[in-house]
Amino acid sequence: MRRELSSVDPSKKWSGPVREYDLIKELVVAVVVVGLLALTLAALFSSPDEKALTMNSWSHEAPADFVQTAAAELAGTTTSASYGPPYNKNGEGQNIGPINLSKLAGVRIPIDPANSFVIEPLKSQSDPITTAAVSQWLAAPSKEQSSWANAYSDALLKDGKALTLTDAAGMYGPVPTLVTALYAMAKSGALDGALTTSDTTLPTNFTKPLLFLGDSGTYFPDKASAQHLSGDQWGVMNETGSWPGQSWLWLYSFWYQIEPFKSSGNADILVMSLMGILSLGLLLLPILPVLPRIPYWIPVHRLIWRNWYNKKKN
Amino acid sequence: MRNFLEISLNHPAHYITFGPFSVSAGNLSIIIAMMVIFTLALFMPFPNHEDHKVKGSKK
Repeated sequence: MRRELSSVDPSKKWSGPVREYDLIKELVVAVVVVGLLALTLAALFSSPDEKALTMNSWSHEAPADFVQTAAAELAGTTTSASYGPPYNKNGEGQNIGPINLSKLAGVRIPIDPANSFVIEPLKSQSDPITTAAVSQWLAAPSKEQSSWANAYSDALLKDGKALTLTDAAGMYGPVPTLVTALYAMAKSGALDGALTTSDTTLPTNFTKPLLFLGDSGTYFPDKASAQHLSGDQWGVMNETGSWPGQSWLWLYSFWYQIEPFKSSGNADILVMSLMGILSLGLLLLPILPVLPRIPYWIPVHRLIWRNWYNKKKN
Repeated sequence: MRNFLEISLNHPAHYITFGPFSVSAGNLSIIIAMMVIFTLALFMPFPNHEDHKVKGSKK
């Protein structure tokens, strides 16, 4: 059979059997059937309409977590603060062998969490106490800023439930005022607007609120886990509620569940590279060894075209 | 506003877990439906399959 196929000259007109086939009819039937199916399923099951998580909802539902994260942003101890490229140079990013793609691309979306998430939004406030606290923070050397913010962040984490703490020992500087003012902004909804319009007037860039939410200690991770959306829960292929998700992404999700990817700090780049190699394999299927022989071992096409093969056999 | 026909799926999903695999009931039902349709497509004859003219068959 292989010899037969290789002897076909693709430049010559096909001289074998032909059959009539109405492609337009098939297309119309397929579009109508799929359209009716989509409309019926949409009428019956509707679609996921999960409310967006915002600074406003975070500050109302998990206020202690919000103030702890805000203090940690000032202290520079959050995930975003040590993420590395494309946001800053404080982290390594992910490697595949000696190659670090994020470092090669560099810092393309510069974000300093203390300034971007806390100080810049607070600059829009006209309250004199907040303005004075912002000025005091900006005038202080970075070592002092770090000392204030770390002391306050540790104290809030130790307490666990407090939204603000008194500074009896004078260790926190303006940090309690800054965090409380940011919390008030979040509760009023102003922080969502300030974070999405800090770079452009149109609120279309959600990078900052998403990174800030991602730094959350419990609020964001708990919401994700409850909906089975975390990476270790096959989250890539799941949808909120009980709706089916994007099950065709199962292979991407699968690698995250097994070693060595599961515990690797470079899981994302390793999984994407592996999927790239597998996709390349699919693309190069005709010229790869062994793989093009699979249809001869598992002849599904003979089942589809059984009439033709039966006639040929007879 | 909810449609009177609507069946609500806005509640936590049921998950089936076996070893490292975990799949929601919604995803599993879609996967099974796809496999059933694929199998039917393999075995069900094309409509008017026998009526299609095959021209120039060498047999």
